[in-house]
Amino acid sequence: MNTAIDPVIVAKDLRKKYGDITAVNGISFEVHRGEVFGMLGPNGAGKTTTVEILEGMRNADSGDAIINGINVKDHPTAVKAMIGVQLQQNAFFDNLKLSEIVDLYAKLYLAKVDPVEILSRVGLDNRKKTKYAELSGGQKQRLSVAVALVNDPVVLFLDEPTTGLDPQARRQLWELVRTIQKSGATIVMTTHYMEEAEELCDRIAVIENGEIIAIDTPDALIDQLLATGFKPEKRVREATLDDVFLNLTGHDLRD
Amino acid sequence: MKIYLALTVASLKMYFRNKQALFWALFFPLLIMLIFGIMNFDKYASPDVGIYDAAENDASRALIHALEGNDQQKLLNVSVDTFDEVHHELEFGSSRAVIEIPVNYGTLGEFAEIKVTYDERFQQERAVISTILGKVTDAVFKELAQVPDEYRVENSIGISESVITGQGQGFKAWLIPGIAAMAIMQTGLFTVVFTLVRFKSQGVLRRMKATPIGAAHFLAGQLTTKAIVVVLQTYVLVIVGAIVLGVSVGAGRLGAWFDLTILALLGGALFIAIGLAVSGWAKNEETAAPVANIISMPMMFLSGVFFPLSAMPDWLTRWSQYLPLTYLADGMRAITVEGASITTLGSELLGLGVWIVISFAIATKMFRWE
Repeated sequence: MNTAIDPVIVAKDLRKKYGDITAVNGISFEVHRGEVFGMLGPNGAGKTTTVEILEGMRNADSGDAIINGINVKDHPTAVKAMIGVQLQQNAFFDNLKLSEIVDLYAKLYLAKVDPVEILSRVGLDNRKKTKYAELSGGQKQRLSVAVALVNDPVVLFLDEPTTGLDPQARRQLWELVRTIQKSGATIVMTTHYMEEAEELCDRIAVIENGEIIAIDTPDALIDQLLATGFKPEKRVREATLDDVFLNLTGHDLRD
Repeated sequence: MKIYLALTVASLKMYFRNKQALFWALFFPLLIMLIFGIMNFDKYASPDVGIYDAAENDASRALIHALEGNDQQKLLNVSVDTFDEVHHELEFGSSRAVIEIPVNYGTLGEFAEIKVTYDERFQQERAVISTILGKVTDAVFKELAQVPDEYRVENSIGISESVITGQGQGFKAWLIPGIAAMAIMQTGLFTVVFTLVRFKSQGVLRRMKATPIGAAHFLAGQLTTKAIVVVLQTYVLVIVGAIVLGVSVGAGRLGAWFDLTILALLGGALFIAIGLAVSGWAKNEETAAPVANIISMPMMFLSGVFFPLSAMPDWLTRWSQYLPLTYLADGMRAITVEGASITTLGSELLGLGVWIVISFAIATKMFRWE
């Protein structure tokens, strides 16, 4: 594992405009080493733009993004070399086998890895000879996490990793995120699913109109809401429909 | 370097696993070549004769007209051109004889000697042309028989005959380099348009941009692959075509293969640049494909791939001779059919060079990563 300094991510007053539209309007936060940091917010709130600025994929109009002590704006290549990225829309090469894809990306980072070992971390080692085009949605998502791991990243960015997955595949991915966190990486993820954020994230930032409107641990945010006298409209039941679905269809992953 | 190699190997694997691309790059041009080659259009036409008319007067024009025959009976397939051009056609092309009309032809009282050169390989055509020429000159001048005896045709016209051994191998040999050039166009244009536009619309290029190497390296690997494919494909088409249709390549000159490689790479670069420009402009495959077709289809038929430009009306060839594919097809044909060396192909290389510069300028302006 690459050694990380703390805080591993510092965002200082990031701003980004597309024409007249302000996508990011002064976002600042820090992420600590080993944390799973969640970014929540409605579509178009500015989550993805913020993440892409941190990843060196986009330039901010102003403000600084510092990853592991390196300013992204000044050294985007150095930053890209030590982070792992899973984009919202991940596409790889239809005609390549999974082991070939992992191997190719490892070479792009000049990293020496065993493709099968990387694939086994996301449970795809039995698919190493399968071509990308033949994978299911959940498998493609897991492959894109595997590819993001080839350089043993200091920070792993996951942009809506479970969107479009069935409940089994989603739970499998949660498990994967926990495993990666245990291995020492810091993870930044965006999501639309609140139970996902509650399940995985040590801290979350809620983003709206390009600004952070709340940032804390999930428990603290819930406590703050309850302290205002908030009562849920419907009494929370002991089990959810998700549980019913998984109970009926099993936890086994479908391909 | 290691990264570049890895990217090239990966993209070669992708290419050769793509059955559709292989079909269009290899099997489709081979199929066309074999179909047209087996049809062998040589057999059905009246013999091709090149005429060099030094006289350019009414009498010489009347003679040429008479040699062509009329609608009821077509005699010879005549093309009038410069001295060099008609002899070049006799030696390397499909022409079977050259008729030179001397400058004093039709001048009363002077002896005019018409020189005829045949390709000795074609004795049957020689007999036909010789007979027609004899009868036609006889008939044309009998009409002018009112003139006094000393000016009579029999006295004032002679026909001298000579032979050369031509190297032309007919339509089959003519067809192969044209099809190979067309295949280079298709590979350059379409594989770039389809793979690159798909990589762009699917987000593959974005994912590459997230790595430390960036997408430019990735493109370099892609382009190397296309260069390799274009050269291999040219070899396969020319070799298989030559074997199946029974013709020789480059008059047996080994350097012809080196020259062909250079031309294939130049042609590949040119059509890849056009492909990049198109895919830069188009947002997705649905818009890119028709544009690529609009560019390639007319060239397929106007650049002398299936039929010689000389078979087309002048107003069309006046500008179709400047098409990129015309330069490529002409250059490859000069090498494979005439045994020419690439150093003699000044106008073709210039034409290709100008088009490459124009296309790359447009491509760099048009291309967008996202």
